[in-house]
Amino acid sequence: MKNQWLNYFSGSVKVEIKGRGIERLINACLRNDIFIWKVKKHNEYTASFYMLLKDVSKIRLIARKSECKLYFTDRSGVPFLIKKTLLNSGFFIGTFLFLLMIFLFSNMVWNIQVRGAKPETEYLILKELKKMGIERGAFQFMVDDPDTIQKKLTDHIDAITWVGVELKGTTFYFQVVEKNQPKPEKKIGVRHLVAKKKAVITNMFVEEGQPLVSVNDYVSKGQILVSGFIGKEGQMKMVPARGKIFGETWYKSTVVLPLQSTFHVFTGKYYEKHYLSFKNISLPVWGFKKPTFSHYEIELQKKPFRFWRWELPFFYERVIYREKEKVERNYSWEEAFQKAKEIARKELLSQLEDDASIKGEKLLHRAKENGKVRVEMHYQVIENIGIPQPIIQGD
Amino acid sequence: MIGKWRRQMRNWLTNKMGLPADILMDLPRITMIGQIHIYIENHRGLLSFSDKEIRLLLKQGQLLVKGETFVIKTILPEEILLEGKISQVLYLDE
Repeated sequence: MKNQWLNYFSGSVKVEIKGRGIERLINACLRNDIFIWKVKKHNEYTASFYMLLKDVSKIRLIARKSECKLYFTDRSGVPFLIKKTLLNSGFFIGTFLFLLMIFLFSNMVWNIQVRGAKPETEYLILKELKKMGIERGAFQFMVDDPDTIQKKLTDHIDAITWVGVELKGTTFYFQVVEKNQPKPEKKIGVRHLVAKKKAVITNMFVEEGQPLVSVNDYVSKGQILVSGFIGKEGQMKMVPARGKIFGETWYKSTVVLPLQSTFHVFTGKYYEKHYLSFKNISLPVWGFKKPTFSHYEIELQKKPFRFWRWELPFFYERVIYREKEKVERNYSWEEAFQKAKEIARKELLSQLEDDASIKGEKLLHRAKENGKVRVEMHYQVIENIGIPQPIIQGD
Repeated sequence: MIGKWRRQMRNWLTNKMGLPADILMDLPRITMIGQIHIYIENHRGLLSFSDKEIRLLLKQGQLLVKGETFVIKTILPEEILLEGKISQVLYLDE
């Protein structure tokens, strides 16, 4: 016997037969492999039974030869259900569209709030965000993550020192700290200015305090340049010494540079793959090919989809393959020396403060040693050598 | 003549070798569960049916089942499952 519940999927109908020779009709059904069940006889000339939907065409042929008439009274099963559903399809499409809309809207950026910025800066920030594709109605999985936005904003807008980026639900919050906010004035205690290192004074700008040295003096480290004591003997007053004392100082630096070196650079070519992932299973959506690059770096971006205010366990993954190229650099001896000098100069400048400048340079020593050049340089630098030294009041 | 000899042969085989009679001799196998169900295998077609009685054709003779509120739960070319309140099962010879 067949499983009755499977009939639910293929669909079944209830048939009422009226007429003479009902038994003959049933026998004919059996012979023609028509499966029937729940046969009931109501009176001599009427009976009813159930049969499969797929056999309806067969039974029509049989009934034509018999003396009975068929009436289909009841329909049940999936095929009829589908038919009914199609009639009500508007409702289902509506439900689906509603869910889809909530899903899409939950993944959008609805609001951008900038706090702590002047109107001009706020305008600048909004403009910059627009350039990055962050505006009302943008999809969250298309825009960068907060950390990247933060980095880009601080890089591109000079007016801000720091910006806190937070994505809460569908709103971006930006907490801005502007550069030109008035800094609370520090109270400077009484102090001297002393030499940072040995130097020859070239220039002095003293705002407050009693200078103890003059231009072209040689000073050693720790020597007091500007005293915090002013006034005549006996009427001395203590002030915080302020000013800039420029002096010529000397630096020595050594740079070793190999003639031959290899490193990787990005060629700018990249290949993107997009996935929809659930837990560990990733379903590729776009980008099915393997990247043709022989050397590449993989960058992975993963973002969860949201529904309402929940994060779904589904993720949108973007994998970017960036092509790398191996570059070999070969210097001749002369080039290497030049390059080493440049490097030395750059290194020195990065160590020095902004108001310092290099007055002159001298090559002390250069050497070739197993594939490397070694350069020793001597620099004359004009820089501010005054550093504060607080006056400790003992009594 | 040959038919009779074959029948005797089958009868002998059933007796001597303990083979099931319903298979060898095309007899109906009737299973009843109390009064409520009757399951008949090896029938040869439906002769008449009403809610009070059902008459089935067998290889030899007919089977008459009497009772009340009969419903044929399933009917297949050689099987029938009848439901209702069964009071009598009768063999009718031709």
